[in-house]
Amino acid sequence: MVYVKWVFWGLFWLIVAGFLHYSLPQRDIVRIVNTYEERQDVTGWTKIFWAASDQSQERLQSWDVQFIQAIEPDGDPMVYRNEDTGWGWPPYFKFDTANLYTDASDSTSTKDAPEWYAVTHYGWRNEFLSIFPNAVGIKQVSGPDARLIPWFNIIVLTILAAFAWGIWARWRRFRRNKIEPKIDEWTDGWE
Amino acid sequence: MAAFLRLVVFGFLILSVIYVIVSFWSRAVRRRKLEQEWNDTGRPGDKETYMTEGMEQYDRSLRRKLILLIYVVPVVVVGTIIYVTNFM
Repeated sequence: MVYVKWVFWGLFWLIVAGFLHYSLPQRDIVRIVNTYEERQDVTGWTKIFWAASDQSQERLQSWDVQFIQAIEPDGDPMVYRNEDTGWGWPPYFKFDTANLYTDASDSTSTKDAPEWYAVTHYGWRNEFLSIFPNAVGIKQVSGPDARLIPWFNIIVLTILAAFAWGIWARWRRFRRNKIEPKIDEWTDGWE
Repeated sequence: MAAFLRLVVFGFLILSVIYVIVSFWSRAVRRRKLEQEWNDTGRPGDKETYMTEGMEQYDRSLRRKLILLIYVVPVVVVGTIIYVTNFM
């Protein structure tokens, strides 16, 4: 029984951590090399990794998506998609896809004269599922070693932890004061 | 537009549920503290009157109005995110 409990809580925390890792913004320092637009066939459950609105996802199986191609400082490729999140989830309220596309196109550089950009994004790149992180903003940085402190994530995670702890402490007190005496009462003399 | 309406409607419903829960909880805490106070100060006069007056004071207090921040803060946060994401 103890293993069932472990597996349950392990899965629970894995899902919570995965959800946060997917949704919270991260910044990569990359060199932008190109932008392109390609029609994507989006079917099946991987639909959840694309941002087109629920209405268009219902009607369409494929739509045009903008992409930003980049190279990481160690030479690995990275491809971002560039989609509006609109009023949907995750709550980035991104409406400036076309502007970001323009900025990214204006920020391309070559291997010989590299310019480095911090690309704010959320989401995951997975080759097998053909999914891409969604770029939210770009900003020029001094070099590939520029230091970025994720203040936003620090604040959000602290607030979340404080809320979780507050609810947890209250629930524990409630259980100790209200539920356990009841159970003791019911099971009195059961030995 | 449908997505915006959905956000507003569901957001309002969820925030209202939180608002109601927090209001009740806050009243319960106030009530408990008043009872405690009444006991500690040597039980002055009628308990019923003491509680009613205390709760009326609470109804006028800033503390109760601060619960309205439950509606204000998310709107400000969303506005800030929109500005940062799209115009910065």
